[in-house]
Amino acid sequence: MTCRDAAALLPLFFDGELDANQMRAVALHSTRCLDCETALRQLERLQDLVSVHVATAVDEVDLSSFWSDVERRLGPTSVSWRERLRAWWGERDTAWAIPAWPALAAVGAAIAIGLALAARVQTPTTHPDAGQVATRDNAAVLDSLDTDAPSVAVLSDPETRTMVLWVSDDDSVGDVP
Amino acid sequence: MSGAGLRPLAMFGGVVVLATAVAAQVVEPAASPSAGRVEVRVGAVLASNASKEFDTRLAALHRQFNALFPYSSYRLVKEERQQVRWGERVGFDIPGGRYVVVIPKEYKNERVAMKVMVLEGARPIVDTAVSLRNHGTFLVAGPREQEGVLILSIGAETVP
Repeated sequence: MTCRDAAALLPLFFDGELDANQMRAVALHSTRCLDCETALRQLERLQDLVSVHVATAVDEVDLSSFWSDVERRLGPTSVSWRERLRAWWGERDTAWAIPAWPALAAVGAAIAIGLALAARVQTPTTHPDAGQVATRDNAAVLDSLDTDAPSVAVLSDPETRTMVLWVSDDDSVGDVP
Repeated sequence: MSGAGLRPLAMFGGVVVLATAVAAQVVEPAASPSAGRVEVRVGAVLASNASKEFDTRLAALHRQFNALFPYSSYRLVKEERQQVRWGERVGFDIPGGRYVVVIPKEYKNERVAMKVMVLEGARPIVDTAVSLRNHGTFLVAGPREQEGVLILSIGAETVP
């Protein structure tokens, strides 16, 4: 691959959008070509600068008066929540009185949902072995594999499910441990 | 039950429902890990039968090494960690003339999907797309040489 070829592909390479062969060719070229490596570094620096600039611009936006401005534009609310609740209650009292047992069922259901939500949220964060479990289970999924070596064997430790790509110079895979 | 007796009970029920709704908002899960950065770590381990020394820094991989490789000595030659944004590439120089390029693509189903290339001199010895459990590690080993074998441990974890 020439510098001209690589230069056209560098932005795509930088974004990880090339196919495997092109990705490999550009990576290989850039490791040996100072100009292309420099161009890649410039792309990285440009992206960093843009990110910093955007982040700074966003930080500078003053949102402190946003909601008060929205409320002001909406105008005064005609009915407060308290009044609405009171009106709803009065309406309920005359229009569709709730018997005792559905009210009790609603309370029970609400408590059960609350407990279930709390349990669901707390379990992963308070489990003492969470990190160790993740470390023990290294299960990996191989989506694609390409190589210039004579052979590559995929091994796995059944206990920890750790995957090994064993590269061998012997195409009969007799080199695998 | 009279209407007067029902009212406090139903009101209590309403309060509990409201409290539950508020709690559900409060305990909303944190932002998706794919919105943050990812830390890629690459370690180079020299495995041989020259001694029976096991580098204590490799304690987390002790069981895997013993189960997968027939060597008695494991020495961590180099370890490097770099944080990148999703989709960015990160390169690692490995002793012995190897170069590792990793591009974390996305975080999906608690897995980090990434493209990994291992170059040995001018030869790409591994070019793979792999989905690895968050905080997980996979290994690239070989080719076998006279003094042993170089094992690369490649892992990734999301950074909030």
